[in-house]
Amino acid sequence: MFYKMALNNVKRSFKDYSIYFLTLTFAVCIFYSFNSIEAQTSVLEISKSTKSYMVTLNKLIAGTSVFVSFILGGLIIYANNFLVKKRKKEFGIYMTLGMSKGKISRILIMETFLIGLLSLIVGILLGIIVSQGLSVITAKLLVVDMDKYKFIISVSAIIKSSLYFGIIFFLVMIFNQVKTYKYKLIDMLNAAKKNEDIKLKNPIISIFVFLLSVAALTSAYSMVLKFGLDLSNSLFLLAGVLGVIGTLLCFFSLSSFLIYIVQRSKKIYFKNLNIFVLRQINNKITTNFLSMSAICIMLFLTITLLFTMFSYKGSIDKTLKGNTSFDASAKLDSNIEGKKIKNIKESLDKVNFKFESYEKHAFFTEYKLKVSLSDLLNKYSSKEEQKELESSYTDGLISGVKISEYNSTRQLLGLKPMDLKDNEVLVVSNYEDFNNAFHKFMKNENSVVIENKTYRIKNEVPIKENIISSKSSFEFLYFIIPDNFKGELKLYSSCFNVMFQGDNHEKSEEKFANLFTQLEEYRNEKENFMLIYGNTLEQLYGMAYGSSAIIVFLGIYLGIVFLISSAAVLALQQLSEASDSLERYKSLKKIGASEKMINKAILVQNLIYFMVPLGLAIIHSIVGISIANKMLATTNKNIMGSSSLMIGLVLIVIYGGYFYATYVGFKSIVKNNN
Amino acid sequence: MHNILSVEKIEKYYGNKGNITKAIDNISFNVEKAEFLGIMGPSGSGKTTLLNCISTIDTVTTGHIIINKKDITTLKSKALEEFRRDELGFIFQDFNLLDTLTAYENIALALTIQNRKAAQIDAAIKEVSKKLEITDVLNKYPFQMSGGQKQRVASARALVTKPSLILADEPTGALDSKSSRLLLDSFEKLNKEFEATILMVTHDAFTASYAHRILFIKDGRIFNELIRGNDTRKEFFNKIIEVVTLLGGDAIDVL
Repeated sequence: MFYKMALNNVKRSFKDYSIYFLTLTFAVCIFYSFNSIEAQTSVLEISKSTKSYMVTLNKLIAGTSVFVSFILGGLIIYANNFLVKKRKKEFGIYMTLGMSKGKISRILIMETFLIGLLSLIVGILLGIIVSQGLSVITAKLLVVDMDKYKFIISVSAIIKSSLYFGIIFFLVMIFNQVKTYKYKLIDMLNAAKKNEDIKLKNPIISIFVFLLSVAALTSAYSMVLKFGLDLSNSLFLLAGVLGVIGTLLCFFSLSSFLIYIVQRSKKIYFKNLNIFVLRQINNKITTNFLSMSAICIMLFLTITLLFTMFSYKGSIDKTLKGNTSFDASAKLDSNIEGKKIKNIKESLDKVNFKFESYEKHAFFTEYKLKVSLSDLLNKYSSKEEQKELESSYTDGLISGVKISEYNSTRQLLGLKPMDLKDNEVLVVSNYEDFNNAFHKFMKNENSVVIENKTYRIKNEVPIKENIISSKSSFEFLYFIIPDNFKGELKLYSSCFNVMFQGDNHEKSEEKFANLFTQLEEYRNEKENFMLIYGNTLEQLYGMAYGSSAIIVFLGIYLGIVFLISSAAVLALQQLSEASDSLERYKSLKKIGASEKMINKAILVQNLIYFMVPLGLAIIHSIVGISIANKMLATTNKNIMGSSSLMIGLVLIVIYGGYFYATYVGFKSIVKNNN
Repeated sequence: MHNILSVEKIEKYYGNKGNITKAIDNISFNVEKAEFLGIMGPSGSGKTTLLNCISTIDTVTTGHIIINKKDITTLKSKALEEFRRDELGFIFQDFNLLDTLTAYENIALALTIQNRKAAQIDAAIKEVSKKLEITDVLNKYPFQMSGGQKQRVASARALVTKPSLILADEPTGALDSKSSRLLLDSFEKLNKEFEATILMVTHDAFTASYAHRILFIKDGRIFNELIRGNDTRKEFFNKIIEVVTLLGGDAIDVL
């Protein structure tokens, strides 16, 4: 009997509670998808170096999932609270018919169980589909081929999702129990009649509060923009607090302020149902200013997270860009005193390594010139920048490579050799983008003094292709010097670059990877000590993409959870608003408002309600993103452009989807009751 | 004097072939401009159905209703919506004021729905609120007003659009006797001074005694008609009581 009632209730209320169900399903789906990454990546053919990053990622995701489950749990309890409140009257009727509170709560338990089970099943099914897409993204991020694609179902993720959400649903049940026992019958029967308290506020005060919030926000912005993301700085904390206070005050006063402004313009104020819409919004935003602020801050985090993680990936990609021209490179540190082997050729002989004919290679020697980076940039850098140079180990003597060797390296890349006169040097670097002073230097200087001799800088813009593929980005400034350079040349390192040709790419890749592991062994030997840094292109990628995958996945995970939570809360608030304001819509209809007019009023109302927190969040995010970009030193417009399009799309689909569902639900609630 | 409302032989059936209920059974009457007509009848007599049909909320089964020379039984739904908006003013038992809006805004809404120009709105509201003596409460919200004030604001909302016909459905139903008297006084004033045509449905004899003419309806038919003529309200009230007794209405309805 109770089972039947519960089942019927679920069936009947399915349409009303579509937002609740949607949110539950999304939550389960996201939860499953991200927790199944481990299984997804296990089938991808990824290199050892990348694998270690994936292990870290899985650990991080597991940790984040606990946090996420708290957010989702809170969200589900919040949503459930709305639904139970909406049905107070129904329960009141059950009680007047003689049903005990115990039985009512048993129906509720049954319902929660049914909805929970259903959304869990649907969510996991959906998650299984979504996670396939996620493995495509994983493969893309890690730059792995997807030839060996397999359909994966992660049992451990299913168990984990069921467990976590089981606990959440259990909490919801307990919560419902407590609630039903607390209600009084008279309140339940009269629930529909109660209106929200209408807060009256002096417009002057609201204007004052609004201006105060604007002041708080602007000072917070300017502080953060000035001092950047410096957690140790107490001003940064102050800016954060000011930002939160500004947001709260803004939502507290915004609608009253808006009404005050709109009332000045009779044309807008006296148009169609604008008066009504304004008052509805005012009522709602002012009552819910706390949750509005929380939503705004969550949206801000979402947007900032999503954008900066791609910027981070962009900055890594960029670091790689000038550093990864060759399929494999190695560098022998020749600067260590007392070691015999100074040339990398000898090292290769030692391990009996031979280049195949399709492994085009070139050797070169790196010297240190008697001029340091800070000497060069002294004129162009501020004190802060000089300090930064020192602290980031970028300072030091500048490397030099002889033109003949440089040309043979260029040949590997299929570039034309360059001519260099005895009094000329070439600058090779992609350092420019990272350092303002260097940029100024290149722009203004056309000669450089090395040991009292002046050399003309042959190129106006530095050659951006680096001459070795390397993990480290410390030394990406080279001067290409004439072969008969007269100054002091201190031997620094001996290097080679390789390009694989033909179809033996994979074979060579493996061969060189093995070579480098083999060479690494010599670091532990005393007699034949050699310090060789070598890496193949894929190893380089593995490192860079592995770490960016971690950031991107965590960013998407948290971002989407925040996004769904805020959109769902807004949707639920609006839908409960719809049933609370039914009488008002009936009155509108009675005094002659057409259906079209009412629908438009509903649309505008929902639009404003969804856009207000998003609008402020976007303003916050612009500041946040610009600071983050400053920190990541990416001003690459291409990366920002393409990823912002994608992120914008995700935002629009999820947020817009919730908005549309709310609008349709709102309309049908109003329509069904007229 | 021309007719604002002509009801011609209307019938309204509910149910299907085997089981027909005639809610309205061949009713005809006319309302002239500036007339104050009352419609009385016991519960289930069909007076609300009649009002719904006149107010275009419901449709008749047969017959014609002509308001201001337009036959509303032939209008399409969109035209009906516009007609209702422009030609009719409603006053309801439960006021139907929007609780989130001030009195001023509630009245303004009736005009903005008609897409009136912003410049006219303020003047129109000032004028009508003066007539109904609610200038003081214009900036108040419904929950800050008394029932009588609310109903007068609702009346102002119905009047402000200058409709051809004002339909009042139990306007005093939710008011105490003092507020009722105040409201009905203002109805009388509106009717006399501004020639508003009012059609009021009520089952309260006292309220009905303010009308010029009363139609009594029973079982969907016009049962009796009373014209006030030169009677005082007290005399008219006594006549109404006689008819109501004849109709067999509840004693509670009478007092």
